[in-house]
Amino acid sequence: MILIKKILQFFKVIKTGDWFIIILFCAFIIISTKFLWNLPQGEYLEIYKNNEILATYSLNQKITKIINGAKGETKINIDNGKVRFYSAPCAKKYCIHQGWVNKANQTIICIPNQISISIIGAKRKYDSINY
Amino acid sequence: MTLSTINITDRDHQIAKLSAIAVALSLIEFFFPSPIPGVKPGIANIIILYTIFKFDLRMGIWVSLIRVFVTSILLGTFLSPTFFLSLSGALFSLFSLLIFRNLSPKYFSLISFSLIASLAHIAGQFMIVRFWIIPHNGIFYLLPIFIISAFIFGLVNALVTSKLLKLNSKK
Repeated sequence: MILIKKILQFFKVIKTGDWFIIILFCAFIIISTKFLWNLPQGEYLEIYKNNEILATYSLNQKITKIINGAKGETKINIDNGKVRFYSAPCAKKYCIHQGWVNKANQTIICIPNQISISIIGAKRKYDSINY
Repeated sequence: MTLSTINITDRDHQIAKLSAIAVALSLIEFFFPSPIPGVKPGIANIIILYTIFKFDLRMGIWVSLIRVFVTSILLGTFLSPTFFLSLSGALFSLFSLLIFRNLSPKYFSLISFSLIASLAHIAGQFMIVRFWIIPHNGIFYLLPIFIISAFIFGLVNALVTSKLLKLNSKK
């Protein structure tokens, strides 16, 4: 009871206008986060084998690709804008655990099987920034 | 020959005392590691808020600027980018308080002022970073982190200050 009273007392310090400012501030946080952390959607998928480009596919399809890597077959699902490793012959399955990716410049790498994929946006962005 | 004397008023003594506390708090904060690089709670602002609400805005401006200069001289960052970052943050938050000083105290307590000033602080620092230190748009990717921390620490500092003012008025 005393604790509840204390908490209520604590909230009495905040006046009406303060709530207004707090809500405004929270809205600003949400808008700026959405606006600034909104990465462009990917358009194409590039598949690399041993650092050499093997193929480029459009992301706007629903298909499963089978690629022969160094250890065996890797299956890659493309599902209308997103990609994942569906099965891989590697031991730890890090590539599969990464799940679906859909943003430009996102990459999944499977080192044991020497297969990696990366998503390309409509226009190429820098993958590193120098200054 | 006429003797020129400087009249030291009671007000000057108050400013000196409050600035000393603010500088001490900045130094304490400097030696604490922060979990995210670049994010600092800004506990010296508690004293500046306290000054503004206990006395007036003019005195708050004095304390804030003295704190920026003295802290930078003590830490050896005077006229370095760090100094300009903290100076621009202080100037922008003071300027925002100057603009919003006519908000009616009936509806707005110091929590509003603290939040406005903390947002202005981030805005000022980001302008300096964007136009001078790292002139690239990539840094805006970090902005949400700083806005969220400004919100949290602005709120916490304001609540601490209101508690302080309450304790002090009881005496």
